[in-house]
Amino acid sequence: MNTSDTTVSVADLKKTFFDESRGEVKAVDGITFSCVPGEVFGLLGANGAGKTTTLRMLSTVLKPTEGSASVMGHDVLNEPEATRENLGFYSASTSLYPRLTGRETLEFFARINHYPPEKVAKRVGKMVARFGIEEYMNARVEKLSSGMKQKVSIARTVVHDPPVLIFDEPTVGLDVLNAIEMVKVIRQLRDEGKTIIFSSHIMSEVEKLCDRIAILHRGRILALGTLESLRQATSLHYLEDIFVHYVTEAEGVEGAGIGATGEFEASK
Amino acid sequence: MSGATKQSALGTLFRYEIKMLLRDTRTILIAIVAPLVIFPAYILILGYVESREQEALEETTYTYAVLGTESEWAAELVLAAVARESSDPDTSSAPVTFERRSPEEPLADLEAGELHVVVEGLSAVEWDSVRAETESEQSDSTEDRADASQQPSVPAVRIHFRAESDFSREARNRLTERLREIRASKRDSVYQAAGFPIAMERVAQVEEVSVATAAKEAGALLGIALTPVLVLLMLSGGSIVAVDAISGEKERGTLETLLTTAASRTEIVRAKMLAVVAVGLTVAVINVANLLLYLVVGLLDLPANFAVEVGIWELFLLLVLFVPVTLLVSSALLLLSGASKSYKEYQVYFFPVFLVFLIPTFAASLPGIELRSIISFVPLAGVAVATREIMIGVTDLLFIFIAFLTTGGLAAWLTHLTQQTLSNEKLISGSDLDEADLTGGAALFPRHVIRLFLGMWVVFFVVSLWFGEDLGIRGQVAVNVVVIFFGGCLLIVRRYGLNAVDAFGLRIPHPTAWLAVIIGAPSALILAVGLGELMNRYVLPVPERMLESFGQSLAPPDMTLWQLVFFLTILPGIFEELTFRGVLLYGLKERIRRRWLLALVVGLIFGLFHVSLFRIVPTALLGFVLTVVVLFSGSIYPAMLWHALNNAIGIIPFRLKILPADFEPSAWWTLPAAIGLAVSLWILWRGGTDGSKRATSHSGRGA
Repeated sequence: MNTSDTTVSVADLKKTFFDESRGEVKAVDGITFSCVPGEVFGLLGANGAGKTTTLRMLSTVLKPTEGSASVMGHDVLNEPEATRENLGFYSASTSLYPRLTGRETLEFFARINHYPPEKVAKRVGKMVARFGIEEYMNARVEKLSSGMKQKVSIARTVVHDPPVLIFDEPTVGLDVLNAIEMVKVIRQLRDEGKTIIFSSHIMSEVEKLCDRIAILHRGRILALGTLESLRQATSLHYLEDIFVHYVTEAEGVEGAGIGATGEFEASK
Repeated sequence: MSGATKQSALGTLFRYEIKMLLRDTRTILIAIVAPLVIFPAYILILGYVESREQEALEETTYTYAVLGTESEWAAELVLAAVARESSDPDTSSAPVTFERRSPEEPLADLEAGELHVVVEGLSAVEWDSVRAETESEQSDSTEDRADASQQPSVPAVRIHFRAESDFSREARNRLTERLREIRASKRDSVYQAAGFPIAMERVAQVEEVSVATAAKEAGALLGIALTPVLVLLMLSGGSIVAVDAISGEKERGTLETLLTTAASRTEIVRAKMLAVVAVGLTVAVINVANLLLYLVVGLLDLPANFAVEVGIWELFLLLVLFVPVTLLVSSALLLLSGASKSYKEYQVYFFPVFLVFLIPTFAASLPGIELRSIISFVPLAGVAVATREIMIGVTDLLFIFIAFLTTGGLAAWLTHLTQQTLSNEKLISGSDLDEADLTGGAALFPRHVIRLFLGMWVVFFVVSLWFGEDLGIRGQVAVNVVVIFFGGCLLIVRRYGLNAVDAFGLRIPHPTAWLAVIIGAPSALILAVGLGELMNRYVLPVPERMLESFGQSLAPPDMTLWQLVFFLTILPGIFEELTFRGVLLYGLKERIRRRWLLALVVGLIFGLFHVSLFRIVPTALLGFVLTVVVLFSGSIYPAMLWHALNNAIGIIPFRLKILPADFEPSAWWTLPAAIGLAVSLWILWRGGTDGSKRATSHSGRGA
């Protein structure tokens, strides 16, 4: 990989929570990866594998216990504001302000993400056209349907034109059509040269969308590579089988892995 | 990014915060419009009710009955009084009419509400026996009794009424007043018949003249009310925004959206704080303007001669003083919002916070309080007292500045804490699985320790309040330290399944620890007394009572020496240590990582467990030192000895008359005492927490 192109770089990142009963809980236990423009980097893992914790550290909401991470050369610890300026963060837990209209929402997020003030109106207009949300731009978000909200939300994520976009389990809770729409949008954004980090536990999505996949389990990356390279390494075809293969190997005991880490949603 | 663009992020945040608030029409209606209507309506209704009551009281014909051995005499008196009531032109309120009834059982009728008053005529003999009874109850006025018993007996009137009835009370008042007048005029006529030279109303006349101007008088009144009113309005107004500002964002799931933007935590908190201040002030201004409007319209009346004289300079001072007040209130509300996971949690905590912030503002109404005292260091209370002084034209700039600093300092600290709540990972990712909740048991104890001790405090407080006197000092100490403290701790250890050795700190200390205690305990006590003395002399006069209880502990004279030793040194030494430096410290250790802060908190809680206000500071200080002793030695035993020694030194030498009762260590002892304490703590620290044979690793210990 060409390091001069690197947009996101994560090195030996660790996050330890202090838990009163278990003592230290290693949610993320030393992971390393980097991303380049125009790729979708997939974090695949069961619930509790450390996906959200990793992405929250990248977006500076959580502080790493050890290791380092940077976005567009800005260190998450030392330059949190600059880091976030270069990020668009979308997840099931990033809601919109119900009492703002769609247009106001986009303006607000463009401004606080330091988009040049004089260009905000033009940029918002462009986003409105692109995501086809003209009709309900001036209605308050609280009055919109969930599909409409989703579109405004994606527009909110990209309105300040950040080079790196994080989608943390973006299809959770969406119906099939909206989920397909989401995947389509992500692919378009990739084609525009954005770096996209996509986390999911749904095999089919990861299989279709991601250029490279990191299999995350108990805070560690078990395998990292393109789908093709993972297939070659394991001599298995389906991502589901590949995933189970690595997790089982890590657990040491046949079939123990999935049950221990929580429920698991397979694709087909 | 340049500073200019960052500025605009703050502006944008603030603008949108206000915009969103204004769109919440229901909140606006309830919070701003409703008081505008409700307040005058309340005044009108109150006025109406009062005038109706007055009318009813004046229109009623009051019924009375007369009984007793001297009923004829009493009836005559009452008749004269009633005649006076209906004919006397010199009365401020309209005269009322009385009507006599002659029921079979007057007192029963009075109780049943058929009569307003019953007048009983007592014979001279009856009256004497009544008087003798009441006087034997109040046996202190022996001289009066001797005087009275030499005088000839006379009959008397007793009025029965029902205190719960407005009408019965009114009848009683009017009748008593008239009877007194008749008595006075009878007395006067006797005097005059005996040749008293001057008119009775000219005897010993009194005239009052206040040297204060009307403005000063009004200023004192207004000065007392100003701070509480402002804080009250700020609290209720600011709360509208504050609840929505952070806990609302958490509830709606917008907080993470906001936190992943380029806006900094500081900008977010500042913008929200500005919004709270703006709305709080707006609500305050609207309400005051509303009040003024009703004054102008005449719906409300000012007291006669009301005048306020505040110069430009005073006005400026007041405005400057109120800046930290508004900031403090806003930051407290915002912190509350940040520390709450939801609206509901905010609402639960709001009322206690409301009280905690309102109570100090009433400091200005304390009798004889002056700004040039410890009060200036108490946030809000200092400003409240300063405000009153400024309003009556006293400007003590140095202490006004101190009040400004302490209130402002607390505001700054709370703002800082609010920013931290935005980085508090537990609060942000509140949905994450919480192991301790599932595991329960010992893991939950650190989280519950504060509320457990709060419960213990309530029990302790209620028992002291209700049974304190009955128990006596011995019983009180025994019940408090053994039953409540130690019993409570045993329950806690059982309920949470704690390891008793860990929870109570039952470990053998390093042998040198005992030496350290022998040196340290007297040194610390002398140092504390000395520092208190120095502080009193050079910095601030400490209230007299604080000094008293500082030097002398409660040592009632009716206790024998061994009782003193047992109840005031051994019992507290053992059980208070097990409770506060044992279980409390064990629980808090998991929550507070900074050791000095931990010792401070344990000390403060220990102080609060000593009911007297004046004992909080010295006991908190002792608690702090004892916590340090336990943290350094890793064992509860040295602290037990230290505590017992401390109490013993404060009591025994005075009891044995080795030292005179008014003995106080000279200020010069402070220096060697400080050295002694330092040496003692050094020995403890050197000895370490390892003790002799104790396991080296201990979970939860970290920097």
